[in-house]
Formats: sequence, structure tokens, C-alpha cells
Amino acid sequence: MTFSDSRLVLANTESVCPDCLATVPAIRYAEGDTVYLEKTCPQHGTTSTPIWRGLKSYFMWDASPRNRSRVPKPATVVHEGCPRDCGLCPDHQQQSCCVLLEVTSRCDLACPVCFASATRKGEDIAFDTVEAWLDTLMERAGGRVHIQLSGGEPTVRDDLPEIVALARRKGFSFVQVNTNGVRIAKHPDYLEALVEAGLDCVFLQFDGVSDDVHQKLRGAKLARVKLQAVEACGRAGVGVVLVPTLVPGVNTGQIGAIVEFAKAHMPTVRAVHFQPISYFGRVPAPPRPETRFTLPEVMEALIAHEQGAIRLSDFHPGSAENPFCSFAGRFLLGDDGRLTVDRDAPVSCCGAPPEEESSCCGSSHAEEEHSCCGGSKDAGEDHACCGGSKGAEDAHSCCGGANEAEAGHSCCGGATAHEEEHGCCCGSTENATAASDETAAPAAEARPSADVARARRYVADQWTLAETSNDDAPGLAAFDAVLQRRAHTLGLSAMVFQDAWTLDLERLRQCHIHVMSPDQRAIPFCAHNLTDRQGHSLYRRHTG
Amino acid sequence: MSVPVPPEVPVPDTDDLICARCDVPLRMGKVQASYMGQTFPVELPVCPSCGFVYVSEDLAAGRMLKVEQALEDK
Repeated sequence: MTFSDSRLVLANTESVCPDCLATVPAIRYAEGDTVYLEKTCPQHGTTSTPIWRGLKSYFMWDASPRNRSRVPKPATVVHEGCPRDCGLCPDHQQQSCCVLLEVTSRCDLACPVCFASATRKGEDIAFDTVEAWLDTLMERAGGRVHIQLSGGEPTVRDDLPEIVALARRKGFSFVQVNTNGVRIAKHPDYLEALVEAGLDCVFLQFDGVSDDVHQKLRGAKLARVKLQAVEACGRAGVGVVLVPTLVPGVNTGQIGAIVEFAKAHMPTVRAVHFQPISYFGRVPAPPRPETRFTLPEVMEALIAHEQGAIRLSDFHPGSAENPFCSFAGRFLLGDDGRLTVDRDAPVSCCGAPPEEESSCCGSSHAEEEHSCCGGSKDAGEDHACCGGSKGAEDAHSCCGGANEAEAGHSCCGGATAHEEEHGCCCGSTENATAASDETAAPAAEARPSADVARARRYVADQWTLAETSNDDAPGLAAFDAVLQRRAHTLGLSAMVFQDAWTLDLERLRQCHIHVMSPDQRAIPFCAHNLTDRQGHSLYRRHTG
Repeated sequence: MSVPVPPEVPVPDTDDLICARCDVPLRMGKVQASYMGQTFPVELPVCPSCGFVYVSEDLAAGRMLKVEQALEDK
């Protein structure tokens, strides 16, 4: 490997050869305003791929902390080395945040671009296997991971509402379905059954606002179907995240139009989550530099569309995954139709920078916060939120007094599900300590790390429908104002997946989006979908 | 969410809530609820004697929970 004088080497890492998927050393280097990943395979030569166009944001993102957490209960051992031991292995550096359950390989479309290479002739995963996945995740992956039902196209299954209900019954607090929207647009009863079963979010494939885009990427004219799907979600009362796959020359010119569509359909649409195309699975042609679209380019397009009302500093990298995997921002829609950053949004769950977060809970401050409750009782029933009645204790309600505050779950009280979710955050100090201690015994109960718990909450908060109170209570107007404000926020985010050309094993080890395989392993998303130049899969062939 | 004791407790009476400690009816009063650095002036049942504030289960698991979740962020 040789370097020209115009190159600035930024980091040494590892990758794979796009031809044989052998693990090879790699470098990230800057040339001009672009960062490249370059690696050399002894058999197949050198490849250099643009991964980040914009040095200013590269250094901003590079300054972010690399939050790592030990996998609570690894399912595989380190044998061949990354990325061939996934399951997760003990060398993986982040826990599961969102886990995909590919409940079918069937699809009702035949998209020219499909990372899952789904067809109309696929097969459904057995219901028992889905149940086993959920049990495995609850026991092994840190409790209430977010569940994304994916495929194939999951809505081809008539029993999908039963799967949603099963996940909720087993205690998973956030369930989304990754869909092309065709069935929910045409069959509102089916969507209502999903929502009734406990669906939290529709993760809607949404590549653009015109039929030509859908025709190129999905092989069908779907603009009207997408609109019908969003409207159906509004009627059914479920939040929507628009998910455009961005392909240069096809729909990158519609980024602004997609944002405008999102604004026009708030509060049903809660966020737009862009995904620049990755070259794995079924793609029309191998990548070229000009067919790459990097995260800074997405941010630049958003900033340009909003005509300066939002800035680069309004976006931030994800705090649980490797920073170069994503960006996110939360914005308020003004009466003038323009977005401004939601500056009132705290930067972390406890209002402190992430690095200070571990001390947020269980402090004397928490005790003070909850000294407010107790002492009164409902004269009509022996059931009060505050004051220590049996009913209140069973319900784990918001007011508990010093004992509960000392137990560490007092800072964010509320209903059981929320308390336990936040308990993950508050319990993170121990977990973080254990994670840094290689000799520590695995926790008996798998609980998520602070950063993963925070990422789960952020997504659940922004991607679910903004609830408002229907009953009129003038004395509680201050609470209602917060809820109204939430209904006017729009999340703008992106995640770029890694293919055989861009795979950086440093990033892969910090991946927190995993896919369950039939043999109960959890495979990091980019490893699960990795295919070589000829389309051969590293993992899917073992799981099909 | 914290609800400190208000300095003064105005009317009106609530219907059927009695302070377990003081055995006197609660009255609606202005209180300042706070969470994550933000304060919310709201009206809640308060004991006029000891100042304890009553937060019903419906409120705790409803509006207050939603507000807490809305304030939490990445």
C-alpha cells in the first residue's frame, strides 16, 4: 500500500475484501474534503471507497465518545475472528438496541434494490421460532430490546397481529413493523388489528414523492399507495417513520420534498430516517464512487432545504452506535412551515452530557424529588398513588418516598413499563462498571447499558405517535403544553449501513442493530446482510 | 417528577380525598411540579395542614408519565 502526499491518514482499522470477504487491514484517509476507506487483499488487489464527504463534520463526529458495553451473555466464541463469529461473540462491543425479526422471506413486491433479496416465493418463519427469538432476547440481550418485525415483507403474514401481541405480552415495550405499506394502505382492518395488538410504529419504506422514483427502486408506481398508507396510520392512531433509501441520481434530489411530505402529515409522521444505499443483497450494479451518498451529504441537503434555519450543529451522532453510523436531530415545526432545532430537548435522559450520566440517578437529589408524595388516601377506596397503599406498591406508581428513591428508580417514576425501562438507565452504573471489568462474572439478569437504554428511549419517544390528553383539565395546562409541543416535533436522522466495500470492523463491533437467525444467534445487521461482489452472503446462506 | 409544597393553599375543596396523616380534606392548590430542570405550574389536591400533594394513579401513569417521556432525550 502506498500513499500520495495529498493524503492524510486518519486511522488504521480492518475491513474485508469485496471479492472474497477475507479480513484485511484497512486505513481511513482524507484526500481533499473526502474520507476514504482503503484496503488491499493479497489476492484481489486494492479498493478505495468514499465513506464521508465533508472533513468538518468528520472531525466533529470523530470527537464523539465511543460508548461500548459488554455483551451480557455471548452466544458464540471467538474462533475465526470478526466478522465470522457473530452471534454475538464476546468481542462485540455493544449490546442490542433494536433487533430485527425477519418473520418471512416472502414479499409482495420485487424491488430491484433489496438488501434481503426477498422474492414472492419465500417462506414464513415458524411461529414457534418467533416465540423462541423473543424468549432468547429477553433472557440474553438485555431485556426489552426494541423489536422490528421485518422480512421480506412482514405484512404478507396474516398472523402478524398475533406476533405483535406475542411480543407485547412477553414484555417488549416497543414493536415496529418494517413495511412497504402496500397491505396497510389497502386493508385498514389489518392495520387496525396490528395497532390493537400493540404496534408502536410503522417503519415505512418511502423513497420519494413521485412514481418515477418508486418505479426505479421498487419496480412499481407506489406514490399513491404510500400516501394511503400514511393516512391509514393516522386514522389507526400509530406513528410513522418515513424511510427513504437514497440513491444518487434517483431520489437524492427529493430529500426536501420528502421532508415537506413529512411536515404535511404531522403528527402522524414522527420522523424521516434516511438510509443511503448500501451495496449488499440485490442491487442493480456494483458501486462506483459516484453512486455513493454519505451522511454529510444528507445533512447538507437538509440544511439547504431549510434555507439556513437549521445548521450542522443541530445534528448529532448516535451515542450508542459508532458515531460514523448515523446522525439525528429533533426539530420543531413552526407556524411558518419551517423547522428549527428543538433546543428545549435535554441532551440526555437525566439532563447531563452522556459522559456524566451515570451519576444521574439514585442520588440524594432523587430522594428530594420524591419526598413530595405520601400521606393522603382516597376516602372512597383503599387505593392511592401516594402514601403506600398496597395498590400503589403493586403498581410501582410514581410516588414512593425515600425507600424507592434509594432503590434507584425514583427519578423517572410512572407506570411499570416506563419505570423498568428507565430502571435500565438508572441501573447502568453497575453495568458500566462490569463492562469495564473483564474478570467480572456475567450478570444474572441481562440488562442494557446506559447508552443503549438511552438510545431505546430516544427512538421510542420520537417514533411513536405523540399522545395528547383528551379530557379538559385547565389546572394541568402546563403538562398539556409539553405534550402539544411533542406533537410538533419531527425527527430527522440517517443511518448508513456498511457493505463489502465500506465495512469497517471497528464500526461493526459497536453495532447495536442485530438480526435474529433461526438458530437463535443475534447477528449485527451489516454482517448479516454482507454479500461479496458476486452476491454471495456471509450469513444468510447459513440461515435460509 | 417532584412537586414541592406550595407556600399557600387556596380553595376549592376536592370531593372525597382525606389526608391520611392529618385527617382533613384535601383542597385544590397551585403547585410547581418539576422534572429534568423544567417546572410546571399545575393545580393538584393538597393537604391544607401538612402540605402533602396528592397525585392520582391516573395522572401519574397518564399525563405525568407522558410529559416525563417527552422530556427524556438521547
